[in-house]
Amino acid sequence: MASRAAGKAGGKAIARAPRETTHEGFLTHKRSRWLKIALFLSALSIAIYVLTDPQPRANGGSVAGYALGTLGALLIIWLSLIGLRKRIITTKPYSLKGWTSAHVYLGLSLVVIGTLHTGFQLGWNVHSAAYVLMMFVIISGIYGIIAYARLPEQLSANRNEATQPQMLEAIRALDRQLDTAAQPLGKEEADIVRLSLEKTDIGGNLWQRLTGRQPNCGTMRARDAIQALVNLQMRTGKPDQRLTQILFLLERKDAALAQARRHIRMKTQLEIWLYLHVPATFALLAALIAHILSVFLYW
Amino acid sequence: MSFVVRQIAKRADGGDIIRTRTLDIAEITVGRGTDCDIQLADLGVMLRHARLLQLSDGTVAIQSTGGIPLEIDGKFVSRADLSVADNPVINIASHRLSLSKGDAPGSIAITAERVIAATDAADAASETGIFSLRETMPSKRGLAWVLAGLVLIIGLALPLFMMGGSDLPADMVAAASRPTGDGATRLQPALGGDDVKKTGYSADMVWTSGPLSTAHAGLSNNCGACHSQPFVSVTDSACVSCHKPDAVPDHASADRMATGRLPAGGFEAGIHKGLNLPEGRCASCHKEHEGPRGALMVAASFCTDCHTGLSGRLKDTKIANVPNWDDHPQFKPTLVTVASLTAPKFERVSLGDKPVERSGLVYPHDIHQSATNSVGNMVQKQGLAAGPNGALACSYCHTPDSDGVRFKPIEMEKNCGDCHDLAFAKDGGIVRTLPHGKPEQVAGIIRDFYLGQALNPRAGVQRLAFERRAPGKMAELEAADLRITSVGEARARGDAAIAQIFGANGKAGGLCSDCHIVNNTGAPNVAERFTIAPVTLASHYLPKGQFPHGQHKTYDRKTGDAACVACHKGVMTSKVSTEVLLPSITQCRDCHGSTNVATNVAATCNTCHGFHYGEGGQGGDIGTSPHRKPAKPATVAARALPVKLGSAEPVGAKARRAGV
Repeated sequence: MASRAAGKAGGKAIARAPRETTHEGFLTHKRSRWLKIALFLSALSIAIYVLTDPQPRANGGSVAGYALGTLGALLIIWLSLIGLRKRIITTKPYSLKGWTSAHVYLGLSLVVIGTLHTGFQLGWNVHSAAYVLMMFVIISGIYGIIAYARLPEQLSANRNEATQPQMLEAIRALDRQLDTAAQPLGKEEADIVRLSLEKTDIGGNLWQRLTGRQPNCGTMRARDAIQALVNLQMRTGKPDQRLTQILFLLERKDAALAQARRHIRMKTQLEIWLYLHVPATFALLAALIAHILSVFLYW
Repeated sequence: MSFVVRQIAKRADGGDIIRTRTLDIAEITVGRGTDCDIQLADLGVMLRHARLLQLSDGTVAIQSTGGIPLEIDGKFVSRADLSVADNPVINIASHRLSLSKGDAPGSIAITAERVIAATDAADAASETGIFSLRETMPSKRGLAWVLAGLVLIIGLALPLFMMGGSDLPADMVAAASRPTGDGATRLQPALGGDDVKKTGYSADMVWTSGPLSTAHAGLSNNCGACHSQPFVSVTDSACVSCHKPDAVPDHASADRMATGRLPAGGFEAGIHKGLNLPEGRCASCHKEHEGPRGALMVAASFCTDCHTGLSGRLKDTKIANVPNWDDHPQFKPTLVTVASLTAPKFERVSLGDKPVERSGLVYPHDIHQSATNSVGNMVQKQGLAAGPNGALACSYCHTPDSDGVRFKPIEMEKNCGDCHDLAFAKDGGIVRTLPHGKPEQVAGIIRDFYLGQALNPRAGVQRLAFERRAPGKMAELEAADLRITSVGEARARGDAAIAQIFGANGKAGGLCSDCHIVNNTGAPNVAERFTIAPVTLASHYLPKGQFPHGQHKTYDRKTGDAACVACHKGVMTSKVSTEVLLPSITQCRDCHGSTNVATNVAATCNTCHGFHYGEGGQGGDIGTSPHRKPAKPATVAARALPVKLGSAEPVGAKARRAGV
């Protein structure tokens, strides 16, 4: 307001560029313009398929088949160019959001275009390989959209205002306390604590990251073992103060680990599809080359 | 005696903190416990791990007290005497104790330091490594290279390297060069079946666009058998290397096909031209890689594409335009116009144009279909095949051929001879018959018979007469016929008998004229006087199509002969063999393509027609191509009686005159 007032005072009205007050995601970009275009392309493809009657049966080699195949191949090439587009920081000719919106919807329309191009004929050959790869890329992309739509909110809720370094620091701090607290303990008990200190992998392998579960986690094993010791001592009398202290620390570390692992699980789910989507896209481009070339080689 | 203990600790910034203590005792303890002289804050160290005892002569006795062996100079021992002069090193868990001579005489310096950094799980990996997949997964770029490379190798490089073909399988070539036969089998070539041949691996098999037809399945690993040149569409030469033209004749010659074909136009034709896909190839109709029956799945519309307006393009065609089944022209059977032993002539005449056949044969169907006349009597007496009403069965003469499509040729001896037996005399117990098809022999035999009887009459020889006589007088007349007194009388009797047997004088009952048109040339030599008009029987009236009679044994709830005459309607009343007794095409439409009957049956082009019939065949659209080669000239074989044509007059004219 102040600047506007100043502008007025200066005798010059400065019109502020209109700004969107609510966020418009790539799925609804420009009133779902690309959704409509994709639906039109799909409907057109279905019309081509239904209105032609190739003999002896529908396949990629009919006129309709070549039309759909050409459209599909051009789309695949354009869709793969998003990898280049996103590395160029510009708003023109299209914003990255618009480009992404088109990428998503035109990519989805490929399910219709590509499937009709096959004429529902699949076999053990390079042509079907291209189709299967294409479907794999599309399905991984659909997963990506779902992940992007759902996971960030859950990630945020799980983080509870903590940053990644803070999560790590909390675990490190607990480790130091555990180390100190375990110094007076005998070998067997110290070894239990060492399980937590030395046999705890926060992230783990891919499967552990995806599920967020590490049943063999050192901290959990240590916690259970110390808990058992404390329970045993409680039966005969007062438990060792040092052990109850360590148990308390192990439980806190367990909770910190659980939070970090939930974070890792969701981040992994957010990232994993690109590890499939991108390499499969390049495999698809290779299969597309082999598919098209082989058709004309054995014309 | 003293120990100087130097404990080194790491500062957060990497520097060292050194604490030095002097212990004036001869024995010190090492361990994690707070009561130890050297306390090592290391959970791998026992509370009381070891004991060091300073001996007098510059040695130290070290002994494990925690039950864990000590690592000294790479060896694990539970106790050892160490010479300080050797600067021994003792490893305890993550810590190292280095012994050396102290500055003060008799003192021993012990340096204790952590050599393995304290384990801290959180420090084991960087933040990125823990929270992102970067260190868990191979890089996207690497994966992309590997996958794309794999696809290119299997899908392109290997097939390119190994593409081509091997020798054609001999058994397949042999099977393909065998004619598929005519009749129903030609409509359904001997392809099909589900026993797809298993073939070995060939890298270029991954380029297949679908399974080959069953007949070609043996070529599945032999792409080069058909795809002989890269970027060139499959040519007919690849097809005919197995499917020889003799076995699969052309529909018409290439030039006539090119003229008659519906000119390809529009978008699709442009694409075909641009992509080097010539029209009119085998593969234009026979699409391969379309599954087990793919190569045979040719659309019926392909026929009408060209035949709808064929005459507009192929000006000299004799084939009527056929836009569809409803407008299929009336049948034009191939009829005999000039019967001849050597050069019979045929003509296609529409059933709607009052067709007349001039086979040269005298054959009234009606009297042969009666159960009560002399034919019926003969059938009963001789036990010939009869229909339910006792009349001669159709199949007595019209014997189905082996595949039940058409009928075996009619032969006089087999189909007529039981009644028309040509017996003319009895010699004792032996019946003497005249040879069929040799009129000049017949005249000689009769003449010689009478001459022989005149010169040397023998008892028991009897001339069989054919004229009708009053009952009881037969034997006497026959005996009188052979009472010959002179050679002249014998010659006269012989001539009369010859004329009577040939039946050339318009007299009924002549042996030959029952079935044949006999001409009296008036030649002085009786052996040359009478000639028999040649007979040509068409064996296939509609050679451009197929009618599997065997599949039509039941018609309109009728079976047997009743089914035959249900279509061949005029048979029961036909008095002359010039009548064409074929059913009209409307008869077919009762069932085929009809919506009126529950058993609506197919009426596609290939229900009756085949494509690869060749141009040949009587009545065919032969055209003028010098390359024309009839598929099977015998398809419409003319059958002429082996007689010498003694008449210059066209047979047809005589037949008409004879009212036949």
